[in-house]
Amino acid sequence: MGERKQARNEEFQSFMTGRWPRLMRTAYLLTGEQHAAEDLVQSTLERAFVAWRRVGAADDPEAYVRRVMMNLHARRHRRSLKEFLAPRDDSGLVREVADTGDRIAQADDRSALLTALAALPTRQREAVVLRYWEDLTETQVAEAMGCSVGTVKSNAAKGIAKLRAIPGLADMVTHGGRK
Amino acid sequence: MSADRENHDMTQTDIALLLADAADEVEIGIAPVQAVMRAGRRRRARRWAVAAATAVVLAGSTGATLAVTGLPGGGRHDKGATVATQGRHADRPHLTEVARGTDHGTGWRVEISVWDPPRDKAEADRQLEAMRRYGIDARVLPERSHLVGMTSHYASLYYGDEPLRPIMFDTGERRDYVAGSAAVIPLAGKNVDGALRLVVGTVDKTARQVRLTWKNGDSTVVLPHAAAGSPADYFVGVAPAGTSYLTSKVIM
Repeated sequence: MGERKQARNEEFQSFMTGRWPRLMRTAYLLTGEQHAAEDLVQSTLERAFVAWRRVGAADDPEAYVRRVMMNLHARRHRRSLKEFLAPRDDSGLVREVADTGDRIAQADDRSALLTALAALPTRQREAVVLRYWEDLTETQVAEAMGCSVGTVKSNAAKGIAKLRAIPGLADMVTHGGRK
Repeated sequence: MSADRENHDMTQTDIALLLADAADEVEIGIAPVQAVMRAGRRRRARRWAVAAATAVVLAGSTGATLAVTGLPGGGRHDKGATVATQGRHADRPHLTEVARGTDHGTGWRVEISVWDPPRDKAEADRQLEAMRRYGIDARVLPERSHLVGMTSHYASLYYGDEPLRPIMFDTGERRDYVAGSAAVIPLAGKNVDGALRLVVGTVDKTARQVRLTWKNGDSTVVLPHAAAGSPADYFVGVAPAGTSYLTSKVIM
């Protein structure tokens, strides 16, 4: 293996080891499930590794990785929705479902936030997670989601409004967060 | 700052804290660096395989020649149904012609070959030899060391009397096969550059149609067709002369 290639591999290893925890947490909020989160992060990093020569030399490799993760997440969500809607017996495939008010109203246990997040439409969930968990600027979120800043604002505002409307979540907020 | 605004900000801050709290529930574990790099290398090898063509995003993409015309009856899956899958045989591919046409007086066709997984290295060697005889260029043959247990899929163009030209391929475990790849190449001989007019791709069997949009603004809807031995359906489209491929979109 050439020295340059070896150096790139080591650079990727360092990047992956350092970012793994945060990516896992973000993916967990996006998917709501441990294995789905691992799968999403691994698939994202596989793609980052394939393009590492270019990605590693870029100013902001993390921005690339975030964009890949959002694309993959959006694609998987579309697929699962289709599977969900298709007249087949593949039950259990869909964890992420479209907005349903009843589910939101019932969210009152410790996993209320994850339940509520999972009930948000994909783009709203992505906007909320990137803006308020990743603490990205609206411009950075727009880059990650491949949309305009205006779309980010709209999706984040709608998502937050729905989360705020959840009785159980409002209680947690009132009492200073989850214990 | 108004009371409403203050409350609004407070709520968003609290939601940020709740998100952080929820995110902490995930088990982080050790980053599977080696597994990711191995998978990345396999993915890189597959990407290189479509290097003769241009990989395109199959999500969403115009007067148009409907290229999926080589199938008797015109219904979807007709051709796949007529090509029997005769058990497992590592050194003989399942062959399905998914499209044919005539371009400037030259006949062309797109053929899918699916190769069953070899059970051991001896079968892998026989399969590689059979692939060479079939006409697959050495540059796009699978790696021998990664062939045992893997199914190989090739979509290839025959243009006139020219030898087979692989457009896209995939070698991997059948259970990991994911439809949704597409590639575009000039509809021409092997060493001829030209407009990217021929689009070939795979879609899930639940897909009903694929809309192809060309650079002149027109679009064409093509029907996916089954290919013997393949878990995915294949679609083929050809841009009219004078224009080329722009985008594609699967219609479920």
